[in-house]
Amino acid sequence: MNKKRSTMFSVAKGALAIFVSLLVAAVLVFVSAAGDTVADKLAETGIALKSMLVSPLFKADGSFNFKGLCDVLALMIPIMFTGVGTCIMFSANQFNLGSEGGIMLGAFVTACVAVYAPIKGVLLPIVAILAGGIATAIVLYIPATLKAHFGVSEMVNSLMLNSIIQYTIMFLLNMYLADTTKGQVQMLPIQENAALPQIINNGSKFHVGFIIAIVVVALAWIFMYRTKWGYSIRMIGINQDFSKYSGLNVVKIIILAQVLGGFIAGIGGGAEMLGRYTAYNWKTLPGYGWTGVTVAILAGNNPLFVPFAAFFISYLNKGCTLMATYTSIPSQLIDIIQAVLFILFAADKFLSRYKQKLVVKSAEEEAAIKRQTELEFRGGEK
Amino acid sequence: MSEEYVIQMKEITKVYPNGVIANQGVNLDVKRGEIHALMGENGAGKSTLMKMLFGLEQPTTGQILVNGEEVNLTSPTVAISHGIGMVHQHFMLVPNLTVAENIVLGMTPTKSGIFMDYEKAVSLTEEYSKKFNLIVDANAKVKDIPVGMKQKVEILKALVRGAKILILDEPTAVLTTQETVELFKELKNLKNQGYTLIFISHKLNEIMEITDRMTILRGGKSQGVYNTKDVTPQEISRLMVGRDVILKVEKDKAKPTDEVLRVRDVEFVNDWGKKMLDKVSFSVRKGEILGIAGVEGNGQKELVDILFGFNTANAGTVEVNGVNIKGLNQKQLRDLNISLVPEDRMIYGIAGAASIEENVISDRCEKPEYNKGPIFNMNAIHETSDQLIKDYTVLCKSRDQKVGMLSGGNIQKVVVAREFSNNPKLIIADQPTRGIDVGATEFIRKKLVELSRSGIAVLLVSADLNEVMELSDSLIVMHGGQIAAYFEDTSKLTDEEMGRYMLGIDKQSPEQIKEVCHE
Repeated sequence: MNKKRSTMFSVAKGALAIFVSLLVAAVLVFVSAAGDTVADKLAETGIALKSMLVSPLFKADGSFNFKGLCDVLALMIPIMFTGVGTCIMFSANQFNLGSEGGIMLGAFVTACVAVYAPIKGVLLPIVAILAGGIATAIVLYIPATLKAHFGVSEMVNSLMLNSIIQYTIMFLLNMYLADTTKGQVQMLPIQENAALPQIINNGSKFHVGFIIAIVVVALAWIFMYRTKWGYSIRMIGINQDFSKYSGLNVVKIIILAQVLGGFIAGIGGGAEMLGRYTAYNWKTLPGYGWTGVTVAILAGNNPLFVPFAAFFISYLNKGCTLMATYTSIPSQLIDIIQAVLFILFAADKFLSRYKQKLVVKSAEEEAAIKRQTELEFRGGEK
Repeated sequence: MSEEYVIQMKEITKVYPNGVIANQGVNLDVKRGEIHALMGENGAGKSTLMKMLFGLEQPTTGQILVNGEEVNLTSPTVAISHGIGMVHQHFMLVPNLTVAENIVLGMTPTKSGIFMDYEKAVSLTEEYSKKFNLIVDANAKVKDIPVGMKQKVEILKALVRGAKILILDEPTAVLTTQETVELFKELKNLKNQGYTLIFISHKLNEIMEITDRMTILRGGKSQGVYNTKDVTPQEISRLMVGRDVILKVEKDKAKPTDEVLRVRDVEFVNDWGKKMLDKVSFSVRKGEILGIAGVEGNGQKELVDILFGFNTANAGTVEVNGVNIKGLNQKQLRDLNISLVPEDRMIYGIAGAASIEENVISDRCEKPEYNKGPIFNMNAIHETSDQLIKDYTVLCKSRDQKVGMLSGGNIQKVVVAREFSNNPKLIIADQPTRGIDVGATEFIRKKLVELSRSGIAVLLVSADLNEVMELSDSLIVMHGGQIAAYFEDTSKLTDEEMGRYMLGIDKQSPEQIKEVCHE
């Protein structure tokens, strides 16, 4: 199949998947909408869908909601990091789900450095965030090396690792690091110079982490498509036997992909920590890693598409929160939408019949071209 | 609709998801109670056609009629319910279960609906075994029985399930001569009992002996239906191959010089304890093509695996330009300038979802000329890929096209473009032209000769007798893991002579064979 047709097919498939998931959402909204008559329910559904799809960016009077936009952009920050990290790991065909624990660990380690390290000026947030990234990279080396050397499933290991990270952090926080002057379990406040500045200071928490995330997206794209390491990661993801036969160092690259993915999730946690909070207080896994998986799948494992996928998910997320505020529909609907999207995007068979038709058409065209060139070739010989 | 035809496949076209057109408007009519041959070279579309008849694949267009009724064969279960059974070339049996257990697999007789009724399975096996004169040992484990019996088990499996039409996919490929004779007796017996058989093969003498009619396929298209007694082997061969003469390759006499590959007393025992290579010794020198002929499964695959680091020999040494390659990985082997055109191009040769460009640089992506510091030198990469596409006449839209979307011949051109262009000193070409079109075949063969004459050592492994005899300067024949013969000059060889060594009827003396070591 030619490239243009193939791209068009992917776009159409994506658009249809989004449409179907929103349709499912609409049906569920209708079912759970308050009201005794169908008319009541329909009215409530209308309000709910409007809050979900329109309200994030437009006020009730129809004017543009700048604060809403900032909110959505701020929500994008952590999931762009986990999305990019997951893209890299998935590109190597490594289903490592460690960015969930990774972002929590990154935030925690960054917070520790930001609270205790005696570093002056802007160096502190930089060191703190890098520390978060490195710590996560080291931890994700465990499932990576187990997979590369012994063939142990990285999915199972990274999944279990998430719990280990969570409870280890809880233990350290409860036993040694808690700020005892506060009513809830949290760490001491970070030093003032550690905080990342806000891009727009309107309470949205739209902070400099956004710029770091965009830079990471760009660097990740260059890494994946313009360096021998990224190339090796992608080739191993497509065909590991081929990569080994070609002389690529499969073991090393499989580890590299996961460690790097972990590093990016880690700095994401650090940036979010220093941009959004004044003291570390995550006690459960934040969920950004799971959303990162959805983002990576929507982006087709290409870092370049991560911001768009992250915007889409954040927009819906904000919309669902607003919907829950104005109607009786719970905001957890976002999880259902995500799940439907996930299934449709991950399912190879979705629209495969239509794809087959396109393939047949292309093959026939190619056969015709080939006959033509062969005729010319023969003619030329005589 | 004539009642005479038990199977009618009409205007069948099959396009695989990777765009390969395997069948194009093929018609197949099989009469009740006949043995119908389906003939064609590797890649002619025989297997695809039969997979569709057995419900493993669905035709893109066209219809299938069984006993005059149109059917939609969506799975083997549906095919079996219409009385169609298939005996696969590679046996679909569970080695650790007994013959009786294998035969009733999926339709196990039970006691009170829970426990397997093993006695009943045995008696069922024995009943059918007697009825069709297919003698098997019902209580033996499949892994312990000889190949010929495994095949009988496969046939019985189909018969027990009520098959009236049997598809036999190259049934003699794995059999000894005696077993083949026996099989033919059994098949004739089945025919006399009213069963219909479709016999896939490309062995002419077998076809002439056993079949009533034949359909010949070439390049996915039907070349017509013939009564076996009305056609001569020459005609069949012309219809199958499409030309009267074998592809001739122009080549001047080899002037071999220094030894490049030195294999001495290599032995290999596979995971099941079978000795696959037994004291194999030979040398390949600069400027010559050494061919390895032999029926598949006589140790060629194991040998290539050892030469390219996918396996380690249990004994013996392999040296390339004086370096012992034991324990080296593929990267280190490539650094010794060894290239491999792998037998299975879809698994090892390419990354189908990657572009042509990404496929041709896989072995050289770390070289300094393709990198500027940490970043790829995209200009150099584009230049190399465009040059290779041009030099190797890869038919494509651009270097960005996905390799998996190319035709088989063009995929192989991408593989050889990479393997031949990295300054090789030794090229191992394993079945380099299997299943690809004539144009690409001719191109690759010419290229191999050209490279060898420029001073590269070439080891050609091929099950295609024409190829290995035409292309090689000298050749060895492998049989049962040993070298059965060495011919210093291939030009005077006849097919018959080769056949005797390939099938193990003859064997040269150790002194004659030792000549290949050039010591």
